[in-house]
Amino acid sequence: MDISQYLDIFIDETAEHIQSLSDNIMALEQEPEDADTINEIFRAAHSLKGMAGTMGFKKMQHLTHDMENVFQEIRNGNVKVNSNMIDILFECLSAVEEYLETVKSTSDEGSNENEVLIKKLNDYLVQAEGGEVSSDDAGEGESAEEAKEEKPADDGAASDAPFKSIELDEAQKTKVTEAAESGLKLYGCTVFIQSDCLLKAARAFLVFKAIEDFGEILVFNPSSQDIEDERFDLHFSLIIGTQSEFEPIKTAICAVSEIDKVEYDTITPDMYIPEDELPKEEEAKKVPAAAAPKAAKKAKNKDNGGGAKQAKKASNKPVTARTVRVDIEKLDALMNQVSELIIAKNSLVSISTSEGGSNNSGFESQGFHEQIEYLERITTNLHESVMKVRMVPIETTVNKFPRMIRDLSRKLDKPMTLVMSGEETELDRTVVDQIGDPLQHLLRNSADHGIEDAETRAQRGKPDEGKIELHAYQEGNNVIIVVQDDGGGIDTENVKRKAIERGLVTEDAAEDLTDKEIIDFLFMPSFSMAKQITDISGRGVGLDVVKSNIEALGGDVEVKSDFGHGSKFTVRLPLTLAIIQALMVEVRDEKYAIALGSIQNIENITVSDIKYVQAKEVIHLRGLVIPIIRLDKLLDSVPKEQEDHNLTVVVVKKGDNYAGLVVDNLIGQQEIVIKSLGKTIDNNKIINGATILGDGEVALIIDVNALV
Amino acid sequence: MAGNQMEIIDQEKVQYIVVKLGSEQYGLNISFVDNIVRMQKITRVPKAPHHYVGVINLRGEIVPVMSVRRKMGLEDDEYTNRTRIIILKLEVQGLIGVIVDEVKEVINLGEDDIDRNVQNANNRADANFINGIGKDGEELISIFEITSIVDAVETV
Repeated sequence: MDISQYLDIFIDETAEHIQSLSDNIMALEQEPEDADTINEIFRAAHSLKGMAGTMGFKKMQHLTHDMENVFQEIRNGNVKVNSNMIDILFECLSAVEEYLETVKSTSDEGSNENEVLIKKLNDYLVQAEGGEVSSDDAGEGESAEEAKEEKPADDGAASDAPFKSIELDEAQKTKVTEAAESGLKLYGCTVFIQSDCLLKAARAFLVFKAIEDFGEILVFNPSSQDIEDERFDLHFSLIIGTQSEFEPIKTAICAVSEIDKVEYDTITPDMYIPEDELPKEEEAKKVPAAAAPKAAKKAKNKDNGGGAKQAKKASNKPVTARTVRVDIEKLDALMNQVSELIIAKNSLVSISTSEGGSNNSGFESQGFHEQIEYLERITTNLHESVMKVRMVPIETTVNKFPRMIRDLSRKLDKPMTLVMSGEETELDRTVVDQIGDPLQHLLRNSADHGIEDAETRAQRGKPDEGKIELHAYQEGNNVIIVVQDDGGGIDTENVKRKAIERGLVTEDAAEDLTDKEIIDFLFMPSFSMAKQITDISGRGVGLDVVKSNIEALGGDVEVKSDFGHGSKFTVRLPLTLAIIQALMVEVRDEKYAIALGSIQNIENITVSDIKYVQAKEVIHLRGLVIPIIRLDKLLDSVPKEQEDHNLTVVVVKKGDNYAGLVVDNLIGQQEIVIKSLGKTIDNNKIINGATILGDGEVALIIDVNALV
Repeated sequence: MAGNQMEIIDQEKVQYIVVKLGSEQYGLNISFVDNIVRMQKITRVPKAPHHYVGVINLRGEIVPVMSVRRKMGLEDDEYTNRTRIIILKLEVQGLIGVIVDEVKEVINLGEDDIDRNVQNANNRADANFINGIGKDGEELISIFEITSIVDAVETV
């Protein structure tokens, strides 16, 4: 057995448990009495400790063990939850996360003992207990500890431990004898595991591993196979051949968590030579051996049956969805193949339409068409399935935010809450992974600059507690994530002044800027509005990074601010990165694709429908004034000799904004595979990719979000 | 074509693809060349740098195509049935197509055959793009400095 193969699982599961702890501790702060929450926390902490122990991360185990102690006291009602304690717990959780990070990068837990934290935890417990010592339980914890300490102390003399009654077969006998002859010291030992241990086999494995650092395990009883398969009671016996003394071995064994005690003695091979009176002796020896686990059980049962209960709980913990973890690269490869398939299908479609009805007999061509439609259905479904595999809820990314806001709230001494909705909204895995930082930045921004201090809030007649909201939802082919706060909003005058100071705009020009243009300054590199540089925000690597990160994902970000009442950042992200439904249009003889998701409707208008507002062309459509964008001019197409009287306008929508794109011709709807234009040529914001049409021709995709 | 020369490949010699632009011959180091394709429909990319003619579909990949003539400030390409697109494979930029009037042959040139002293060939519009003049018998072949050709900066 090799531990490293479990490292990935350990990392994933630990992250899950940390998240669950974080969520539940948050919940606990709100509802300190909720038994379910406490039990959930306890379970998570316990698993965390167990896993750390299994993997041999002792420092992490130590810390989680002490955390668990605190949780236990909470569960038993000996300690009241208060925000001070929650703070300590979160600190600990951060430390555990740190361990996890270290493990991730180095496969080792690092050297940080976090003694300060552990001390804090224990001090807290002692303090709490000092107040109202519920002697029984407090004593219990110790007595368990004591049991650990004491029993090994006197077991040096244990003359009747189970290891003495191991029956050796011939091969084992030879092995033992040989070891003795080669000058190794022989020890027999019996390791007792705590009765509530969930992973006996894993513990046993760790014990073996610990022992193997010192010597060789000559004999297992039960057999190592049985132990591995957990076919043993609460103890197992070993015969060890070693150069070392037994004391250090014992210490190593006891360091494995959930080991109750170790009994050992030196042995000689002769002891295992069967004698006639053996059966009798065995009988005699069995009694104390059986008694020992019982005693252990009793001790455990004292904590209101916690052990048993907990074991039960663990066994019926929710069955996790049946999943397979797949390397994202493999998914990418699969996705590319589906893309190729779609391109191939499209070319079949285009052949069938160009040849359809010409020389084929009616019947054959009908069959051909049917097959192509069939193929189309299959490829579309296949594509959807592959896409779905890649989709994950943004939950994994956003669920760390409530905790972050809580921390910030305490750090900045501004009461605030985070309200989230739409955590279940799904996005492509790669997008979800990368959206965390920009969102975090926006939230920090809101917490730091947005929400005012309590005094200002009172003056402005707002509730004491600031409110930050994060909403996610799907809109067409986009996912929208809104981050808004009810804080001070953006002081456009102030931004304007800063912009002039920095020489970004002249004073005269500044007067004519719209609020939107002024807010855009915030997205310029190194434009920080923070009056003071805090470690939360204001280092000048701010919104510009947010913006470029989001744009790199094919999305964009929009700000609305109402000075004095709050600001709202709207992040728009493409749902998929690879294949979309698009409307193909023609501008002169060039073909362009427009994402179907952003198209609102298509209108036929006459030139006389076009009105002018501020010297810009608009149309008035069902109560909406929609600016007209002439694609031919925008795309530098060959000018037309004579303007058409009738125009085809594709009305596109981004959020609340509309625009009408004038095209020459509509070709039709098509599923297209988005391909990058490559770095060298992709220096404009109008085109956000290209696609290959059925006939092999390349069509460019118009980035509606950049136009509107 | 130059089959006889192919047979005497010298270790120190480098293979060059000889192409024609107008009346002059240019050599491209073959190690950068991924492929040579016939002229095909190039999709114009609006707002792209002037010397980029557009993009083509190379077996499912979108490949930008540039005009060396535009880059060097020569008169615009005239596409004939000898026009070819040489697909270069570069580490930074990936695949890039370069339009040439004609592909002639592959030759081997040793360092001895190349005159690196081209600085005084001033006043030539292509001076920046040439890193040597190769001599293949009586023929003179300007050796392209590939990196400066595909450099995004417009020099003209």
